[in-house]
Amino acid sequence: MTTLLNADVVKQIADAFAPMKESVHILFFGEKEDCVYCADTQQLLEEVVAISDKLSIELYDLKDDADVAAKYNVDKAPGVVIAAKDGDTVSDFGVRFAGIPSGHEFTSLIQDILLVSGRDSGLSQDTRDFLKGLKEPVLMQVFVTPT
Amino acid sequence: MVQAEMVEATEFQALSNKYNVSGVPQTTINDGAANIVGAVPESNMLAELKRIMK
Repeated sequence: MTTLLNADVVKQIADAFAPMKESVHILFFGEKEDCVYCADTQQLLEEVVAISDKLSIELYDLKDDADVAAKYNVDKAPGVVIAAKDGDTVSDFGVRFAGIPSGHEFTSLIQDILLVSGRDSGLSQDTRDFLKGLKEPVLMQVFVTPT
Repeated sequence: MVQAEMVEATEFQALSNKYNVSGVPQTTINDGAANIVGAVPESNMLAELKRIMK
Protein backbone atom coordinates (compact mmCIF):
# COMPACT_ATOMS: atom_id res chain seq x y z
CA MET A 1 0.00 0.00 0.00
CA THR A 2 1.26 3.46 -0.85
CA THR A 3 1.76 5.64 2.20
CA LEU A 4 0.39 9.17 2.39
CA LEU A 5 3.29 10.44 4.50
CA ASN A 6 6.78 10.21 3.07
CA ALA A 7 9.85 9.38 5.16
CA ASP A 8 10.86 13.05 5.57
CA VAL A 9 7.45 14.01 6.92
CA VAL A 10 7.38 11.00 9.26
CA LYS A 11 10.78 12.08 10.62
CA GLN A 12 9.55 15.66 11.20
CA ILE A 13 6.44 14.43 13.01
CA ALA A 14 8.49 11.99 15.09
CA ASP A 15 10.69 14.92 16.17
CA ALA A 16 7.60 16.98 17.05
CA PHE A 17 6.11 14.08 19.02
CA ALA A 18 9.34 13.25 20.87
CA PRO A 19 8.63 15.50 23.92
CA MET A 20 5.07 14.15 24.31
CA LYS A 21 4.41 13.15 27.90
CA GLU A 22 0.79 12.06 28.12
CA SER A 23 -1.16 9.76 25.81
CA VAL A 24 -3.65 10.85 23.18
CA HIS A 25 -6.51 8.74 21.86
CA ILE A 26 -8.08 9.37 18.48
CA LEU A 27 -11.63 8.31 17.67
CA PHE A 28 -12.29 8.07 13.96
CA PHE A 29 -15.84 8.00 12.60
CA GLY A 30 -16.31 6.87 9.02
CA GLU A 31 -19.28 6.07 6.87
CA LYS A 32 -19.59 3.30 4.28
CA GLU A 33 -21.54 5.25 1.68
CA ASP A 34 -21.07 8.67 0.12
CA CYS A 35 -17.91 9.47 2.02
CA VAL A 36 -15.28 10.62 -0.44
CA TYR A 37 -12.54 11.30 2.12
CA CYS A 38 -13.20 8.65 4.78
CA ALA A 39 -10.66 6.10 3.52
CA ASP A 40 -7.89 8.67 3.06
CA THR A 41 -8.57 10.26 6.44
CA GLN A 42 -8.49 6.88 8.17
CA GLN A 43 -5.20 5.97 6.49
CA LEU A 44 -3.67 9.35 7.31
CA LEU A 45 -4.61 9.01 10.99
CA GLU A 46 -3.32 5.45 11.17
CA GLU A 47 0.02 6.54 9.71
CA VAL A 48 0.25 9.39 12.27
CA VAL A 49 -0.70 7.12 15.18
CA ALA A 50 2.00 4.61 14.14
CA ILE A 51 4.67 7.29 14.69
CA SER A 52 4.35 7.42 18.50
CA ASP A 53 3.55 4.81 21.15
CA LYS A 54 1.77 7.60 23.05
CA LEU A 55 -0.96 7.53 20.39
CA SER A 56 -3.85 5.14 19.88
CA ILE A 57 -6.83 5.07 17.55
CA GLU A 58 -10.22 3.42 17.53
CA LEU A 59 -12.33 3.15 14.39
CA TYR A 60 -16.08 3.69 14.44
CA ASP A 61 -18.88 3.93 11.93
CA LEU A 62 -21.16 6.93 12.18
CA LYS A 63 -24.27 4.78 11.69
CA ASP A 64 -23.27 1.40 13.18
CA ASP A 65 -21.82 3.08 16.25
CA ALA A 66 -24.48 5.75 16.56
CA ASP A 67 -24.33 5.54 20.36
CA VAL A 68 -20.62 6.39 20.47
CA ALA A 69 -21.12 9.13 17.86
CA ALA A 70 -23.92 10.63 19.95
CA LYS A 71 -21.83 10.44 23.12
CA TYR A 72 -19.10 12.48 21.44
CA ASN A 73 -21.53 14.68 19.53
CA VAL A 74 -20.07 13.65 16.17
CA ASP A 75 -22.45 14.06 13.22
CA LYS A 76 -20.12 14.21 10.22
CA ALA A 77 -17.92 11.70 8.41
CA PRO A 78 -15.05 11.64 8.35
CA GLY A 79 -15.21 12.80 11.95
CA VAL A 80 -12.23 12.83 14.27
CA VAL A 81 -12.12 13.29 18.05
CA ILE A 82 -8.76 14.02 19.65
CA ALA A 83 -9.05 12.90 23.25
CA ALA A 84 -6.79 12.39 26.24
CA LYS A 85 -6.07 8.90 27.56
CA ASP A 86 -4.85 8.07 31.03
CA GLY A 87 -4.71 4.33 31.68
CA ASP A 88 -8.04 3.09 30.38
CA THR A 89 -9.80 6.41 30.87
CA VAL A 90 -10.54 8.49 27.77
CA SER A 91 -11.23 12.17 28.48
CA ASP A 92 -12.92 14.36 25.91
CA PHE A 93 -11.31 17.80 25.56
CA GLY A 94 -13.85 18.90 22.94
CA VAL A 95 -11.42 18.85 20.03
CA ARG A 96 -12.90 17.69 16.69
CA PHE A 97 -12.10 17.57 13.02
CA ALA A 98 -14.81 17.19 10.38
CA GLY A 99 -13.35 16.35 6.98
CA ILE A 100 -9.86 15.38 5.98
CA PRO A 101 -7.10 17.16 7.93
CA SER A 102 -4.79 17.67 4.95
CA GLY A 103 -2.78 20.63 3.68
CA HIS A 104 -2.57 23.38 6.32
CA GLU A 105 -4.98 21.43 8.48
CA PHE A 106 -2.49 18.61 8.80
CA THR A 107 -0.35 21.01 10.84
CA SER A 108 -3.42 21.82 12.95
CA LEU A 109 -3.94 18.10 13.55
CA ILE A 110 -0.37 17.61 14.76
CA GLN A 111 -0.62 20.73 16.95
CA ASP A 112 -3.92 19.57 18.42
CA ILE A 113 -2.40 16.20 19.30
CA LEU A 114 0.48 17.99 21.06
CA LEU A 115 -1.95 20.35 22.83
CA VAL A 116 -4.08 17.48 24.15
CA SER A 117 -0.95 15.57 25.15
CA GLY A 118 0.19 18.61 27.16
CA ARG A 119 -3.19 18.64 28.98
CA ASP A 120 -3.13 22.44 29.03
CA SER A 121 -5.19 24.76 26.83
CA GLY A 122 -2.75 27.63 27.34
CA LEU A 123 -5.71 30.00 27.80
CA SER A 124 -5.57 33.06 30.01
CA GLN A 125 -7.02 33.06 33.52
CA ASP A 126 -9.79 35.44 32.35
CA THR A 127 -10.91 33.00 29.69
CA ARG A 128 -10.70 30.02 32.06
CA ASP A 129 -12.80 31.81 34.68
CA PHE A 130 -15.47 32.69 32.13
CA LEU A 131 -15.60 29.17 30.66
CA LYS A 132 -15.85 27.62 34.11
CA GLY A 133 -19.03 29.59 34.71
CA LEU A 134 -20.76 28.53 31.48
CA LYS A 135 -24.32 27.30 31.96
CA GLU A 136 -25.00 26.44 28.31
CA PRO A 137 -22.82 24.51 25.88
CA VAL A 138 -20.68 26.33 23.32
CA LEU A 139 -20.03 24.89 19.87
CA MET A 140 -17.33 26.67 17.90
CA GLN A 141 -17.00 25.60 14.28
CA VAL A 142 -13.98 26.84 12.39
CA PHE A 143 -14.50 26.57 8.65
CA VAL A 144 -11.29 25.97 6.75
CA THR A 145 -10.11 24.79 3.35
CA PRO A 146 -7.17 22.44 2.91
CA THR A 147 -5.09 24.72 0.67
CA MET B 1 -19.28 22.47 27.86
CA VAL B 2 -17.09 23.64 25.00
CA GLN B 3 -16.61 21.83 21.73
CA ALA B 4 -14.41 23.13 18.93
CA GLU B 5 -14.77 21.58 15.50
CA MET B 6 -12.58 22.18 12.49
CA VAL B 7 -14.88 21.87 9.49
CA GLU B 8 -13.47 21.30 6.02
CA ALA B 9 -15.66 23.78 4.15
CA THR B 10 -15.56 22.14 0.71
CA GLU B 11 -16.58 18.71 2.06
CA PHE B 12 -19.50 20.14 4.01
CA GLN B 13 -20.88 22.63 1.49
CA ALA B 14 -24.42 22.66 2.85
CA LEU B 15 -23.17 23.74 6.27
CA SER B 16 -20.81 26.32 4.72
CA ASN B 17 -23.72 27.76 2.73
CA LYS B 18 -25.94 27.83 5.80
CA TYR B 19 -23.45 30.09 7.59
CA ASN B 20 -22.52 32.05 4.44
CA VAL B 21 -18.87 31.07 4.55
CA SER B 22 -17.13 33.19 1.93
CA GLY B 23 -13.65 33.44 3.41
CA VAL B 24 -11.66 31.11 5.63
CA PRO B 25 -11.09 30.70 8.41
CA GLN B 26 -14.58 31.53 9.61
CA THR B 27 -15.51 30.79 13.18
CA THR B 28 -19.20 30.17 13.72
CA ILE B 29 -20.41 29.89 17.29
CA ASN B 30 -23.64 28.20 18.40
CA ASP B 31 -25.43 27.89 15.09
CA GLY B 32 -24.62 31.39 13.86
CA ALA B 33 -25.02 33.35 17.13
CA ALA B 34 -21.62 34.76 16.18
CA ASN B 35 -19.66 34.56 12.92
CA ILE B 36 -16.08 35.80 12.84
CA VAL B 37 -14.00 35.83 9.67
CA GLY B 38 -10.22 35.65 9.88
CA ALA B 39 -7.89 34.96 12.76
CA VAL B 40 -9.41 35.53 16.21
CA PRO B 41 -7.18 36.62 19.09
CA GLU B 42 -8.18 35.03 22.39
CA SER B 43 -9.39 38.31 23.87
CA ASN B 44 -11.74 38.89 20.92
CA MET B 45 -13.06 35.36 21.18
CA LEU B 46 -13.72 35.84 24.88
CA ALA B 47 -15.54 39.13 24.18
CA GLU B 48 -17.73 37.43 21.55
CA LEU B 49 -18.53 34.56 23.91
CA LYS B 50 -19.45 37.01 26.67
CA ARG B 51 -21.72 38.87 24.24
CA ILE B 52 -23.67 35.80 23.10
CA MET B 53 -23.66 33.67 26.27
CA LYS B 54 -25.68 35.98 28.48
